[in-house]
Amino acid sequence: MNSNRPTYFLILGLILLLFFFLVNISLGSVSISVSEIIHGLFFSDWGRSSYEQIIINYRFPKAIVAIIAGIGLSLSGLQMQTFFRNPLAGPYVLGISSGAGFGVAILILAGSILGYGAGSIHPWTISIAGTLGAGLVLSLVSLVAWRVKDSMTLLIVGIMFGAAVSAVISVLSYFSGAEALKLFTIWSMGSLGSLGWNQVGVLAVTVIIGMLPLLFSIRSFNALLLGESYAKSMGISTVRLRWWMIGSTGLMAGAITAFCGPIAFVGIAVPHLARIVFKTADHRILFPASGILGAMLLLVCDSIGQLPGMAESLPINAVTSLIGAPVVIGLVLRRNFSKEF
Amino acid sequence: MESVAVKGEGLSLGYLKGKQRKVILEQLNFELKTKELTCLLGPNGVGKSTLVKAMMGQLIPFEGKLELKKKNVSEYAHDSRAKMLSVVLSEPHLPGNLTVEQLVSLGRTPYLKWYGALDTSDKAAVNRALEITQVDYIRKELVNEISDGQRQKVLIARALAQDSPVMILDEPTAHLDLINRYEIMRLLQEIAHAESKAILVVTHDLEIALESADQFWLLSCGLPLITGKPEDLVISGQINQLYPSDRYEFDLLRGRVRLREESSNLEIIGDQDLTFWVKKALLKAGFQQLDGPVLIQSNPILLRYQELEFSRLDKLIDFLRKN
Repeated sequence: MNSNRPTYFLILGLILLLFFFLVNISLGSVSISVSEIIHGLFFSDWGRSSYEQIIINYRFPKAIVAIIAGIGLSLSGLQMQTFFRNPLAGPYVLGISSGAGFGVAILILAGSILGYGAGSIHPWTISIAGTLGAGLVLSLVSLVAWRVKDSMTLLIVGIMFGAAVSAVISVLSYFSGAEALKLFTIWSMGSLGSLGWNQVGVLAVTVIIGMLPLLFSIRSFNALLLGESYAKSMGISTVRLRWWMIGSTGLMAGAITAFCGPIAFVGIAVPHLARIVFKTADHRILFPASGILGAMLLLVCDSIGQLPGMAESLPINAVTSLIGAPVVIGLVLRRNFSKEF
Repeated sequence: MESVAVKGEGLSLGYLKGKQRKVILEQLNFELKTKELTCLLGPNGVGKSTLVKAMMGQLIPFEGKLELKKKNVSEYAHDSRAKMLSVVLSEPHLPGNLTVEQLVSLGRTPYLKWYGALDTSDKAAVNRALEITQVDYIRKELVNEISDGQRQKVLIARALAQDSPVMILDEPTAHLDLINRYEIMRLLQEIAHAESKAILVVTHDLEIALESADQFWLLSCGLPLITGKPEDLVISGQINQLYPSDRYEFDLLRGRVRLREESSNLEIIGDQDLTFWVKKALLKAGFQQLDGPVLIQSNPILLRYQELEFSRLDKLIDFLRKN
């Protein structure tokens, strides 16, 4: 083990993260330079009073949500990939995003079918509907998980639940009006910027609680590298780990999806990036590495989506996939990917 | 001093299919002893893996007792059992990006604190395991870039690092070349004796097992488990239970199984070691009977048959086929 290399990389990652954070909040329809932001933050001396408003109430929460979502989704994805020993697993394989989508669809689409106006929906209501939906599907999957012994079966069950729930969403979409449909479509493209400080606080606390089980399962995830039988022979209870994992990813990915919509790509790609960059399979390094890389990736994607000089910004999902996919394809082709996993 | 590490008494094992019991092994009695290398032999599908699973605590016996160090296997907590028994399994599922040293360190899992860091005693155990198995020199290499023989040694090192009095290995010599098969078994024998471990090896390699094992367990369909010193089993002829004895037999001289010699009227004259191989080649080519004797002359080797001389067996066989 090159014992110091990962540590240097993690410190470098943190510095880069801070840099991207500052760049991210300086970009937008109104360009505010980094020095003005620092001046404003530390000396309460804002160039214009509107700057304070923009930075504190809009860009700051958005950047923080990007960091939280990046960390939460990447950590969920890494857990799923190691637990299921499947490089294509991600935070949504247990049906969490479909579940949240289901909750929101019921709210927006079914609401419009029943004649409620779609325009008057409060952002909190959407978050709550998403949370309930994700919780519902996760509970159903857990009920099955009680009975299933083998992790591959659980993976298939999760994906099937997701598919079934998505089908219900399609049916609802088919019958709902144009306005509601547009609102739902926009939600499903993901958005980091629509949250107020209260919601950011709730999201942050939930994700931090979701991270706690990780601290106690690093050892188990490492043992799982050799497969379930070896892990058991080394005293790891895979059943207990499964519940830790369902709890952890349910809280993190569930809350993020409920508040920001289903953000694609990050959860699957970032753990691979972490393996490629840090050249290790040790979860003591992979967990912090994935967290930092995930936060960086979402900040960068959000900055790119921020088209300078324009009031509109691109939906985050479009950017993550458009920018991220070629990057990962490039990395995977350049290095022998199948050997990394 | 011998001591019993694993003990089975009237053990009956199998799987549940719905609510029906499907018994695979019945009435097993055995003792796995410390400081001994025990080889479990038997044909495919006879239940060797089932027995291993039960010893690992992944299968609860239908009947009988299965004790690991005088305590029922199923009564152990996960990590205290892991400190008693380590395994080398037959399907290696090795991830990339994992060095030999990291893989061996995973053996320390049951001893680690929650955050998974290795302390000095853990590191010492890992180093010792790497030294005993002589893979110290590749400790920084990636596990999917080393040879099969090395990988098997590394997996044994991982089990050693787990520091358990009992080790179970499921076909550790499969897919290896002859020399490596001998090497692995010799290493296991050394470990059993020098490190005072009870080692059970599931294997199909009768010849190599005969060379290195202290004890044999023979498992054959529908018969009770036979245990004993390999040599005793050979002398008593019980070793023949391993295979259908109407077609195969154990060659006492050469210490291996061979096809039962079909009664042939081949007459081959010459040095005894050489006639064996000439006869073998002729039988393999399908000649049960020839019109006259084959004479073997050594130095230089020459085969005479009906006034003709052949320098090689394939030339003789070619000639016989044409006529």
